[in-house]
This record gives sequence, C-alpha cells and structure tokens, in this order.
Amino acid sequence: MKKNMVMAILGFTALFGLVFATGAFGASKIVIGNPECLSGGFAKAGEQAVGGIKACVKWVNETYGGVKVGGKKIPLEYKLYDCESKKEAVTSLIERLITVDKVDFLFAPYSSPLTLAGAPVAEKYKKLFMDHGGASDRIFQQGFKYVVQTIGPGTSYHLGTLDMIRKIDPKANKLALVYKDAEFSRDVMRGAEKHAQTVGYNIVFKRTYPEGAADLTPILSDLKGHNPDIVLGGGHEPDGMLLARQMADLDINAKAISIIVSVTLPSFYEGLKNIADGILGPSHWEYGVTYSEAGAKKLGLPWIGPGQDEFVKLFKEAVGKDLTPEYHSAEAGAAVLALVKGIEMADSLDNDKVRAALGKLHFMSFYGGWDVDDTGLQVGHSMVDMQWQGGKRIIVWPPEAATGKPCYPLPTFSQKAKGTLCIPK
Amino acid sequence: MFGIQLAGNLLQGLVLGAVYGMATMGLSLIFGVLKVVNVGHGAFMMVGAFVALWVFNGLGLSPIWAIPAAFVLGMALGFIFFHTSMKRLIKAPELASLLATFALGILLEETVKLIYGADFHGYNWIVGKVSMGITVMPMSKIYAFVGSILIALILYFWFTKTRGGTALTCVVEDSEGARVCGINVGRAYALSFSLGIGLTVASGVLLTMFIPVGISPYMGGVYTLKAFVIAVLGGLGSPYGAFFGGLIFGLLENGSYSLFALIPGLEPFAMTRFFSFLILLLILLIKPTGLLGTK
Repeated sequence: MKKNMVMAILGFTALFGLVFATGAFGASKIVIGNPECLSGGFAKAGEQAVGGIKACVKWVNETYGGVKVGGKKIPLEYKLYDCESKKEAVTSLIERLITVDKVDFLFAPYSSPLTLAGAPVAEKYKKLFMDHGGASDRIFQQGFKYVVQTIGPGTSYHLGTLDMIRKIDPKANKLALVYKDAEFSRDVMRGAEKHAQTVGYNIVFKRTYPEGAADLTPILSDLKGHNPDIVLGGGHEPDGMLLARQMADLDINAKAISIIVSVTLPSFYEGLKNIADGILGPSHWEYGVTYSEAGAKKLGLPWIGPGQDEFVKLFKEAVGKDLTPEYHSAEAGAAVLALVKGIEMADSLDNDKVRAALGKLHFMSFYGGWDVDDTGLQVGHSMVDMQWQGGKRIIVWPPEAATGKPCYPLPTFSQKAKGTLCIPK
Repeated sequence: MFGIQLAGNLLQGLVLGAVYGMATMGLSLIFGVLKVVNVGHGAFMMVGAFVALWVFNGLGLSPIWAIPAAFVLGMALGFIFFHTSMKRLIKAPELASLLATFALGILLEETVKLIYGADFHGYNWIVGKVSMGITVMPMSKIYAFVGSILIALILYFWFTKTRGGTALTCVVEDSEGARVCGINVGRAYALSFSLGIGLTVASGVLLTMFIPVGISPYMGGVYTLKAFVIAVLGGLGSPYGAFFGGLIFGLLENGSYSLFALIPGLEPFAMTRFFSFLILLLILLIKPTGLLGTK
C-alpha cells in the first residue's frame, strides 16, 4: 500500500514536472504576435505575409491537428496589429504584444529596416523573433540571439541570375548596378558585386538613388552612357517599377535586366504591360516550384505543411479574394511551419529551448528547404529567377526548378512598344 | 559627354520642375488666403493620380481628359471640406487647422485604399518619344509640361484680369481691408480653398503623366515634403512664386547630378538633395520671404 502510494506520488511528480518543463502547463493555445504592415509603404507585401501566416495557421490547426507539446495538441492563435510600415510603431507594438497580450512567440514585420527596428525589443524580452521578410545580412551581424530567418539572405539574390547569364552568353560582360540606397538593396548588390567579380564580369556602372526618389532620370542618363549588357537594380516595389518605366522612357536597352522585389509582384506587369516583358526578378518562391513530400523524402528531410495547391487555396480563403500568393506570403507561411517544428522538437514553449531547436532544424515544405546557421541566418533555402514572358510568370532558373526557358537577349523597349513579346527562341 | 548629359538633365529637370511648380500652386494659394498649412497636400495629389488611373484604365481615355475631371473633383472636395471643417478652424490656433488637414489626408488615403487596395498601380500611356540629341523625351512628359504651363498662365490671368481673382488678391494682402471694401471674405476663403484643392488634385494627374507608376494611396508623402520646400523657396503665399520655385527645384535636382558625378567617391544622387536644400537655405538667408514672397 505504502509502496503504491510512493509510486503514485513519484509518477504524479514526474508528470507534473514534465508538463511544467515543457512550459505548456495549462496552455490552451499558442499565441503568435505580429506587428505587420497593413498600411503604409509596405502594405502590399504585408497583406501577402498576413495571408501566408493565416493560411498556415489554419493548416496547422485544422489539418495537422495543432502543435504537439507535452503530449497534447495545442492550436495556434494569431494576434495581429498594423505597424503602418513605421519603425516607431513596430517597437511599441512589440512591447504591447509581449507585456499586454502576453504572446508566446513573435513574428517580425515585413522588410529589413522594420525587422532591424523590432529585433532589439524582442531581444530585451528574450522572445523568439521569426523573421519572414527581412533579408538584410546585417540583421544577423548584430549578435541577436532570438532572430531566426526564413527569407534567404539579401546577398544571395542575384547569384543565380549572374550564373544563368554567364551560361547563356559568356560574352555578355558589362554589368551595371543601379539600386536604392537602403539596407536590403545594398546587401543584394554587395552579394551581386562579389559574385560578379568571382565569375568574371566587368562592373561598368555602380550608383545608388536615395529612398523616395521620384524621378530617376539623372542616374539613368548617366547609366545610358555606359552601354551595359546587364542591368541589376531596384530596391522595393515603387522604385523598381519606376526604374523599368524610366529605362524605357530613355531607351536604355540591355541584354538582360533584373530588378529585385517589384518584378515578382503582379502589379509590376499590370502597371507596365509590354515594358515589363522579359524583365527578370529573383524570387524566394513562385507558383510552379516542384517541392513535394516525395522530393523531401528523397533528400532525407522531414516534410511539414500543405502542398503548393493547398497553400494557394488556403491563402485565397485567408485574404478573402482571388489574390495570387507570391513569395512574401510563402516565406511568411513557411516561418509558421518552422516555428511549429521548432516547438515540437523542443517539446516546450520556452523561447530559449525553441530557439535552440530551430538551430538544429532542417526540413522541407512547399516553400523549399529550411535551415539556419548559428546566427539565425537562412542557409537552407534556394532562390529561383522568374521572368515575365508574354504576360506570364515563368521560372527560368535554376534548370531543375524551371518551368520554361529564359528569353535572352531582351527585345529593345521600342520593339516591345511595337508589340514584340519576349518569348524564348 | 559631360556637357550633353548636363544639358539633358537640365531639360528633364525643367519639365519636371514645371510639374512640381504646378503641384505647389494650390498649397501656396491656400496658405496665402487662409493662412492654413495643408499638410494633407500629397494625399490630394494622390487622388488626382487615381483619377488619371481610372480615366486611362477604367474608361480607356487619354489621361489628358483626367485633368479637367480631377480639377472639378478637387473643387468639389475642397468645397465640402471647407464647409464641413476648415470654415470653423480659420480663426482657431494654427495647430488646429494643421491637424485637420493632416486628418483629411489620412481620411483620403484610407478611403482610396478601401477602393483600390494597397497595391502600387501604374498605367502604360505610350504616345511616342522625341529624340532631342541631348536626351530622349517621351511625349507624355511634354504634355505634362505644356499642361502645367497652361494652367499656371490661366491662373495668372484669372488673378490679374478678373474681378474674382482681384478680390482674392485683396484678401491675401489684407483680409480686413478687403472686408471693409465690400468683398465677401467668407466666400473668398471658400473659393480659394476649393481652387487650391482643385489645382492640387489636377496636378496629381500631371504628375502621373510624367511618372505613370508607383500610384498608391500612400504615394503623397514625398510630394508633400517637396511642395513645402518649393513653396518656401518661391515665397509662401505666392502661387506664381511656387511655380518658379518648382522650376528652380527641378533644375537644381536634376542638373546638379551631372556636376556631382564628376567627383570620385561621391554618390551624386544623394548629393542633389543636399545641394537643393543648401540653395534653399542660401535664398532664405538672402531673402527670408522666398523669391516672390512679400512680408
């Protein structure tokens, strides 16, 4: 009798200790807090990110059955505030999410500057800060412990683009870099410049334009004089559109033009029509990529999450309209899946334990591979290059992910204005 | 090479400057008559940009047709906003009208966002180009330039040759004196606010003829800042001063690029802003009321 009693007490203590150790005692939900850009300059990308997060939260709760912690399945809850694309709003909303809403984990807002602004606050409270849209390498050079990236690093954006052009046309040598003087685009171009020198391109022009520049004519007139074969440029959405439009206005033609961020958005083609045709853009995810559970199995990686078509369906339900998801939504959704895997690996809601688990995590989802280094920088995800061809988005690089051939060289802007489409020969 | 690039940039700057100047005339007019600083200025320009987008993409018409449409819409908006809010705030502390125009701007941004969403839009109006040797000028920019000059001239003649315009000039000079002379100052206030907003909304159309992309509910902020600089440069309260201020600003912004590009290690585009503001400071030091402003 006495022995049974002792065993019961020991068993109860062990169970009690286990539940407390997981940090999931009494937890009926796991709350993710996110100050996201629903208005202001990054509202479009913010809308995509929110749709991606909601789609994957729904998948986790309804299809996956919740996050398994301490032997029970716990649903996710998503707490969202509009940060208005402003740094000061990001910092105060993160404080609010932690101290008032008592969220379990944090998601960063879209963009590098806003992620950089919010990270110190998350660090102060030792809260995991899932970075879905801050690509700048500088975020991971600050010694932050709790920032974990899903979007790839900025320095990797144009590596594939340069490799592709080198393979198609080894004679194309004159490279021009014209980009926004901002954290993210500086990183992208630093990576491109370094890779270009390694591969053997000759950089004939390298200039920046300031944030908020309304007219790029002076810098483009300067560019025209250098007669480049390849132009890499841009920053975010509006200036990327402006760059393409004013290159067309000034008849600046190149064999290949690749512009970051804006090219991957449907509004780029809707606003520019034939001018957009043939312009390339590096992308973290495009509809049509071939990541699958079977593919993950072949690579020996665990798989989690919806398939590509299921994600698109969930995304459209989440945003409540027939909006096409692009990479900003996919990377945000994949960050949810990474967090779920991290919590389950740690079997705890303790942010330190989950952070440690994420450091060891390597998995695949509809978004592709996921793995981070010691600083939290994403190293397991490969980018693709997309190109507008006759109004359609075609993945042209790398060959194993391509849905079509690249169109090279580009028709001139005058030819495009007369109706020539950029269709590969 | 340098000379060609400089001349080309100056020409492009002149065209852009005319649009900037036209875009600032409404701001200066409202300040001149009502002493109200319209910090929602850029949001009203944004409304004009969306009118151009709607006329081109929705109706399939040339954006030139959007200029009168935007002007009428702007006049109507100005009339409504004046009678619902600004009228009560003319004699209130300056901060009250400042906040009211700020609120109007946000109201407009969020209303347009409800209709068009947060996307960046653009339209592709291709009407040919003129190769000028020193630069290539799209015809759409030339239309924007000519439109800006014409509107500025019409406004000039209206102010100097008509009774209504002369009455407004009197109110700018001395509102109490104008009242004593029998001018209906209340009506002058309503007219100048409506006219100022009408001009600002119409300038949004002209701006998109120059830059037909990046049209979004939040596009106005950058133009509000530019308009304030241009208005101060030209002399706050002087619509013509604002127009000339715009021309100078456009020339400085574009022209100085070529000069700074000669200096190794400098990012010339970033320096153009530094240079523009330096010139603004120098002008204000020499003539604190701005180029055409009076005490």
